[in-house]
Amino acid sequence: MTAVAVLAAYPVVAAIVLPRLLSGGGWAERAPRLAILLWLAACGSVVVSVLLAAFALAVPASVIGHGLAALFAACAAWLTHGPGMTTTTTGIALAVAGAVAARIVYRAAVVFTRARTERRRHAEMLALLGRHDGLLDAIVVDYDERLAYCLPGRHGKAVITTGALRNLSLEQVAAVLAHEQAHLRGRHHLVLAVAETLATAFPGVPLFERARAELARLIELLADDVAARRHPRVLIATALVGLATGRAPAFALGAGGDTALARVRRMLNPEKPLARRQRLAGSFAIALLLAGPAVVALLPGLSSFLVHHCHRLLGL
Amino acid sequence: MARSLGELEAVIMDRMWSYRRPATVRDVLEDLRAERSIAYTTVMTVMDKLHTKGLLRRELVGKAYLYQAVASKEAYTADLMRDSLARSGNQAATLVHFLERLTPEEAGALEAALQVFPPRGRA
Repeated sequence: MTAVAVLAAYPVVAAIVLPRLLSGGGWAERAPRLAILLWLAACGSVVVSVLLAAFALAVPASVIGHGLAALFAACAAWLTHGPGMTTTTTGIALAVAGAVAARIVYRAAVVFTRARTERRRHAEMLALLGRHDGLLDAIVVDYDERLAYCLPGRHGKAVITTGALRNLSLEQVAAVLAHEQAHLRGRHHLVLAVAETLATAFPGVPLFERARAELARLIELLADDVAARRHPRVLIATALVGLATGRAPAFALGAGGDTALARVRRMLNPEKPLARRQRLAGSFAIALLLAGPAVVALLPGLSSFLVHHCHRLLGL
Repeated sequence: MARSLGELEAVIMDRMWSYRRPATVRDVLEDLRAERSIAYTTVMTVMDKLHTKGLLRRELVGKAYLYQAVASKEAYTADLMRDSLARSGNQAATLVHFLERLTPEEAGALEAALQVFPPRGRA
């Protein structure tokens, strides 16, 4: 029962505490990739522990302790005798797990299909309106506003307008497109889709809301860093400013301003990357978030298994 | 000579935009035949598809359809770019802009940052 209590309490506490814990300290800007993995692991651990708590409640530890055969026997009995076999808690637990899993699967299907449909429509029009530039390896669109973006997917493309090309030097254009290629190669849209799925599946959960905003920011920082491996950082900063100025004014405000400013500062004044010890701590935290719930769920079953089958060995 | 229908759509739309007047399948065919060999039915199929997609409108004049672009290339481009901006940021996962739209104040702050933070060292 302790395992169930821990697994059920953890998501509630984590959903509120983790976003504060992960947002603080300004370390994320120094290691965006690690930060992305940490946010994803945090979201994953919350979802997994909800499912495992329900599972642990539905399946008594003693059953697991008697090995897989007993588990299958219990399942078979449950299936043949129907819900009559189950206690109320088992029924509730399975219903909760089923509802959570179904909600995630449903939202993921909506998010992914909508994105794919919109992308395909966009790509179709792009094929008519733009032209592929072999030298830039990007689609060039005749348009005065200075824009650059990437259209992810199986045939991911970087897109840049003639307005942007006119206002940037060739080196700046190369840096901008390297940033876009980093999004495409890193499949950053999948990170965004996962964050979108969780945030819309369970609205109001602080961890998921914060994760969506943070991940959108962090993939930009990561793409800047990847581009900066081959292009001078100052070019990325000046390209950002070059694209920002002389644009049509915004009609809707996002959180883009703060992120853009942070990106310019970070490209011009890079902070020291995290020390090896700090990186190790981060990796350890990721492992803990991912493995923790599983370990807690398995412990009672494992100890029960030891008690039943290894009592001689343990001298019990 | 494998040429995707998508590419042919782009070629034909470009012709239709450049005419700035209605044209029949025959008109487009003769224009295209100047530089490539292509069948009448191919051009007809593609133009019919463009009509279904809402890019071309047509009216029956005599025995043949007279086609015309619904809107200019510039209008379509403006639509598509506005669409790209609307889909970036708030609606995650469709596409990702290098930079979200900023207010003039925010853009000004970026410029100021260039002055305040002089590049330190090399890249």
